[in-house]
Amino acid sequence: MHYLLTFRSLTYAQRASRVLERAGVTGTVSRVPKAAATRGCAYCVIVAARHRERGLAVLKSAGLEPERVLLRHADGSLEAGQ
Amino acid sequence: MIYLDCAATSLQKPACVRYAVCRAMEQMSSPGRGGYESAMLAADTVLDCRLALADLFCVRRPEQVIFTSSATHGLNIAIRSLLGPGDRVVVSGYEHNAVWRPLHGIGADIQVASSPLFEPDAAVEAFRRALPGAKAAVCTQVSNVFGYILPVERIAALCREYNVPLIVDASQGAGSLGLDFEKLGCAFAAMPGHKGLLGPQGTGVLLCREENAAPLFYGGTGSESRQADMPDFLPDRLEPGTHNVPGIAGLLEGVRWLQKKTCPALLYHERQLLDAFAGRLRTDGRVRLFRAPDCRLQAGVLSLQLEGVDCEQAASLLAERSVAVRAGLHCAPLAHRTAGTLEQGTVRFSFSPFNTLGEVNAAADAVLDILG
Repeated sequence: MHYLLTFRSLTYAQRASRVLERAGVTGTVSRVPKAAATRGCAYCVIVAARHRERGLAVLKSAGLEPERVLLRHADGSLEAGQ
Repeated sequence: MIYLDCAATSLQKPACVRYAVCRAMEQMSSPGRGGYESAMLAADTVLDCRLALADLFCVRRPEQVIFTSSATHGLNIAIRSLLGPGDRVVVSGYEHNAVWRPLHGIGADIQVASSPLFEPDAAVEAFRRALPGAKAAVCTQVSNVFGYILPVERIAALCREYNVPLIVDASQGAGSLGLDFEKLGCAFAAMPGHKGLLGPQGTGVLLCREENAAPLFYGGTGSESRQADMPDFLPDRLEPGTHNVPGIAGLLEGVRWLQKKTCPALLYHERQLLDAFAGRLRTDGRVRLFRAPDCRLQAGVLSLQLEGVDCEQAASLLAERSVAVRAGLHCAPLAHRTAGTLEQGTVRFSFSPFNTLGEVNAAADAVLDILG
């Protein structure tokens, strides 16, 4: 399972990914799946489920809190992750 | 050719700039338009450039670094964000048409805080008198005609005191003079990427404090696509359409090169060249040099007039001798009016990190040869 941390812009998602990387958390920038992109195109950072808490804490301290946190199940389905 | 027109655009660039442009054209597509490798490589390059510029100009958040096509583009965004018809705006007496024409175009009430050349105290006093009640102010960091370094820090402090948002035109200073965006507290600072920052033509940068700045163009941003309104966050709000990725990739390498060399070292080099050039000509009574009494007031730009030789003719004769300079009004009639050179214009010599002492000596020889 993975978490999708969504951001309003690509720039924020990229910065978030780099902040996570520096903290030892792998976060891959990706487009938000259509079903979850309620306002149209958006980007997210995908992190492993085990890194959720630490990742969110790192982002909060960097002032880069995601708009939403979505849990992606193995079958690809999404649900609110917080 | 001896190129002494870097105040228009820097012709010689570090080799890394050329390589970066070529690499971007070969490997990068458009950021924010896909999640595939070439799009993400482009996105990483654009972010790297934002971060490098934010570092160079002390900008708190990289989102406040907006990519434009030129300084003119950025100044138009800044002016239209702060001013409307009839609003009173205070400008220095040394502004370029990139400021003057947009202000005229929107019907602003333009008040010139005029002061003599190379007299910074007088410039501050002129702003102090004019600022109360103004809607905004615009000040160039360095005159593109005379190389005069205006006291932007002091004028910015006055603007903060009077609560007047300030737009800084950093077109001639960026790359050689420092600019601390946070410390200045200005609303906007605009600059080209292709002059002192050593990037390719077609690049520009706007440092933006106003989250809700007015877009000049509207269109796709790769974000919030369902909304008819432009996004209300930076940089997307001010960057619709496809980015100039090869240009930004080149600009990134130009900025990295500058950061290695350091701006003070480059300014020192340009001033040495200017000193050497002026030193060769100053004893000739037929040459009128617009030289600051204190070298700290002048960047690497020098204007002059030659007795009995029209400035355009002088530039043509210099071009025949393989010296490239710019003559006339330099798109800054206001600066010429302030300095009293509107009718004759001047011949402008501007020096870059790549010019050598040998070149400026040869250029001085060419000037003396024209005078006979």
